[in-house]
Amino acid sequence: MSAVINNVVSARGLRKGYKNKLALNGTDFDIPVGRIVGLIGPNGAGKTTALKAILGLIPFDGQLAVLGKDPRTQRDELMNDVCFIADVAVLPRWMKVKEAIEFVAGVHPRFDAAKCRRFLEGTQLTPGLRVREMSKGMIVQLHLALVMAIDAKLLVLDEPTLGLDILYRKQFYQRLLEDYFDEEKTILVTTHQVEEIEHILTDVMFIRDGKIVLNAPMDELGNRYAEVLVNADKLDAARGLKPIDERALPFGKTVMLFDGANPGQLALLGETRTPGLADLFVATMKGTYA
Amino acid sequence: MTAVEWSDGAPIYRQLKERVVAMLLDGVLKPGDALPSVRQVAAEYQLNPITVSRAYQELADDQLVEKRRGLGMYVTEGAPSRLKTSERDRFLREEWPLVLERIQRLGLDLQELLDPKGKWGAK
Repeated sequence: MSAVINNVVSARGLRKGYKNKLALNGTDFDIPVGRIVGLIGPNGAGKTTALKAILGLIPFDGQLAVLGKDPRTQRDELMNDVCFIADVAVLPRWMKVKEAIEFVAGVHPRFDAAKCRRFLEGTQLTPGLRVREMSKGMIVQLHLALVMAIDAKLLVLDEPTLGLDILYRKQFYQRLLEDYFDEEKTILVTTHQVEEIEHILTDVMFIRDGKIVLNAPMDELGNRYAEVLVNADKLDAARGLKPIDERALPFGKTVMLFDGANPGQLALLGETRTPGLADLFVATMKGTYA
Repeated sequence: MTAVEWSDGAPIYRQLKERVVAMLLDGVLKPGDALPSVRQVAAEYQLNPITVSRAYQELADDQLVEKRRGLGMYVTEGAPSRLKTSERDRFLREEWPLVLERIQRLGLDLQELLDPKGKWGAK
């Protein structure tokens, strides 16, 4: 069984330069099957470029295998098994819901129209409704229903909930978890709404200046990183353990973030907790726009 | 929609497990009751299914729930009594020392603790 694919995506030394900037600068990463991976980075870090490379939408240098195929040369085959929702989720404005369903049924062999209609039950999307009559939230709802009805192995989401209100955002991930995701599917998602998805993710990758600077399963972050509320009298001792970030709080306390420090030692300094993804992100990306 | 606040202290799967344990202790879940599916819990609480499975697996390891093939997870007959024993142990081991420390710091005596109204309430 040499044909077993353990990694849905495997990238080595990805490079992509635009006019005067490297968007991907020797990027390495693997995405195993059955994971929900968040690719998180500041604006301009290379997120969308990485997704475009995976989808075969741009030329690039380096090695990249998606479901065992090279997106540069085997894009057509690849598209049978990969789905994509872009941050600019565009559907033709004149199109009706039922026409969109008929269209995808016509072009995609793995699309299940009945399933798609079932996903739309209970929404305000009626078969005769045109895209131009829909709110942004409704368009994303339709897009998601179309995509979830395709039996793809890899789903790529680029800022899928951008500009949606909190109800639509919550519903978006709820549908994805309830009606789509299983251990044979893999989801790669980029977003700035870090807090919103951190518990949904199984793995996280931070990208900065075209390089992956953090790549870890979510449950490992708790073992590796700790935030400590340090009392004023223990500041020097705490700094001796080389925090990767610190910020002062009122009442003389300081919050420090540690990477790989001994939990026993940290507990002596003050109250400890597991940092949220947003805290880690801010600490890791410090100076990005400087 | 259920708003759930997860604290930063313990891993999420453990917090989820504690939630189910609390429901068992309160009698909201009784022996023979079915647990919602992993998928339902994941969607409702916006957690990844691996986290939910892990919480369920620990509950199964503690023999509080059991898997019925093709049907899902069910609360076991022995769950309430098993829980009571383990929760008593845990309280004495983890929670009580902290409470005791606080009692001592505040200088409360046994009489005040058993009958707080005797001192403060009956004015």
